[in-house]
Amino acid sequence: MATEPEPDPAPPVAHLELKARLLLLLMVLLMAAAVAYLMYARGAFERTQELVLVADDSEGIVVGMDMTFSGFPIGRVGRIELSPEGNARIIVNIPRRDARWLRASSVFTMENGLVGSTKIRAFSGVMTDPPLPDGAERKVLRGDAAAEIPRMVASVRELVSNLSTLTGSEAPLNATLHNLQTAAERLNGPRGALGVLLGNETDAKKITLALERTNALLARLDGLVLKADGIATRTDGLVAHADAQVFGASGVVPETRATVVQLNGLLADARNSLKKVDAVLVEAQAIGANTREATADLGSLRGEVDASLRKVEQLVNEINRKWPFKRDTEIRLP
Amino acid sequence: MVDARQPMQGGSGPWLRAVLQWMASWWGVLDFGSQMLVLALSPSSYRRSQRKVMYRQLYAATAPQLAAFVVIAAVVSLVIIRIVVATAASYGLSRYALDVLVRTLVLELLPLLVALFVALRYTLPGAQEVALLRSQGRLRELWRAGGDPARDELLPRVVAGVFAVALLAALGCLLALVLTYLTVYGFTAWAFASYTRTVGQVFNPAVTLIFAFKALFFSLIVAIVPMAPDPLHSGDATRRRRDNIGLLGRVFALTLLVEVFSLIGNYY
Repeated sequence: MATEPEPDPAPPVAHLELKARLLLLLMVLLMAAAVAYLMYARGAFERTQELVLVADDSEGIVVGMDMTFSGFPIGRVGRIELSPEGNARIIVNIPRRDARWLRASSVFTMENGLVGSTKIRAFSGVMTDPPLPDGAERKVLRGDAAAEIPRMVASVRELVSNLSTLTGSEAPLNATLHNLQTAAERLNGPRGALGVLLGNETDAKKITLALERTNALLARLDGLVLKADGIATRTDGLVAHADAQVFGASGVVPETRATVVQLNGLLADARNSLKKVDAVLVEAQAIGANTREATADLGSLRGEVDASLRKVEQLVNEINRKWPFKRDTEIRLP
Repeated sequence: MVDARQPMQGGSGPWLRAVLQWMASWWGVLDFGSQMLVLALSPSSYRRSQRKVMYRQLYAATAPQLAAFVVIAAVVSLVIIRIVVATAASYGLSRYALDVLVRTLVLELLPLLVALFVALRYTLPGAQEVALLRSQGRLRELWRAGGDPARDELLPRVVAGVFAVALLAALGCLLALVLTYLTVYGFTAWAFASYTRTVGQVFNPAVTLIFAFKALFFSLIVAIVPMAPDPLHSGDATRRRRDNIGLLGRVFALTLLVEVFSLIGNYY
């Protein structure tokens, strides 16, 4: 067996201790820098406020993902939990300096793209609204591109089929376009739009004539209007005069007012007269009552008179019987 | 303990003997590793008298490798960054390039590169020296003279290996992060905030912890496994070269195992 060579002693290094210490220092610095940078990157040194987003499904949401505003990340998901109602509560930590972009009226959406992760976005429409309070709870609106695709494809298919029907050679649209072309040609013709509207030249001529006559009529109407203007001026004067007559110092209205005052006096007098009449009527009522009693007495008097008369009749009958000129009233039968 | 130096005999159970040898060899590694860990955690190992040898090994493990490693790491990083950025751009997925780069380059590839680099440049040659000292009986002489070969010869090499892996990994990751930023954004400071945000999103607490543990295990594997006494070692030069290749394979297999576990931890 060959003898093994001696291991070479390492050549001495100048300032070995210093260099080794420098290496140790470098190591410590690197580690401290890495830890500090990672803590900074994770937002450990930021003062944050919380925002709770409530979604019916937290699929695609992971802790640490960003919430963006106008494409800029302004917060990150800190925690996801299940609420007692069964909804997902996504707690987003927003640095205080970025929280000014969120207002009380801000809207939050959660979008599932075809490629890539789910995105949480914030939209602030009215920047003058009060700022979003710490710990605010908002419902997140969900948009799912993948779920929309089948519906969209169905709609597009229907649209394409409708378009095919519309653009077919027998389609009404084709005929309409053809008619439109004819109409356009006639529009460019000598009679222009009137020709298109009326269809034939005779009617167009009639319309022209009617227009001319209308113009003449309008000129005459102008004269009439001028006359009416004069009349109106005169009527104005008349009205002013009537005004003076009615509302002037010696007009109808002041006189009427005086008459009304007099009428008031008259009415007072009439009221007094009526009161007197009332008293007379009361007395008349008393007279009536007396009369009624007298009438009752008259009844008994009449009874007595009746009885006397009957006695007188009986007396007359007696006298008649006893009287020699008594007629024989008896009829004797043979 | 099985005497692994016995030539293998044919007969009833050659495979059994092989399995026992394999287990004995791993047991040796575990035994040595625990001894080294205990020594490394003992304050007495860092007495003033130990410092000189400790410093010498720390320096030998890192300083000569530093320049070469920075160049290799920069070239590898640049190539990978360029490939990823160009591929992402061609698919219109540029915004995911940063995330992919930080995950593949900083979290996975560079620590692996550092582990293999330190193993090849420092711990495997160091292991060869230690094997030579063993075979020449110098460790035994040291022991007889009242020294502690484990503390005076082996521990400084192990600590230096761990330190080298940690330092070079930190340096490589920093380099990769800077190069990624410069390649993607160019020489401007305006994208720093969004870049930091992306890095922060990748390095969530779980990933950071797994990354730290991975770096620690890589450094332990690279520093301890080659130094462990190998029962198969016979002192023969040809045999020793074969052993070196075996050791490298062992280191590589273990680092890959740790890598697989870290991937499982990160992505499952």
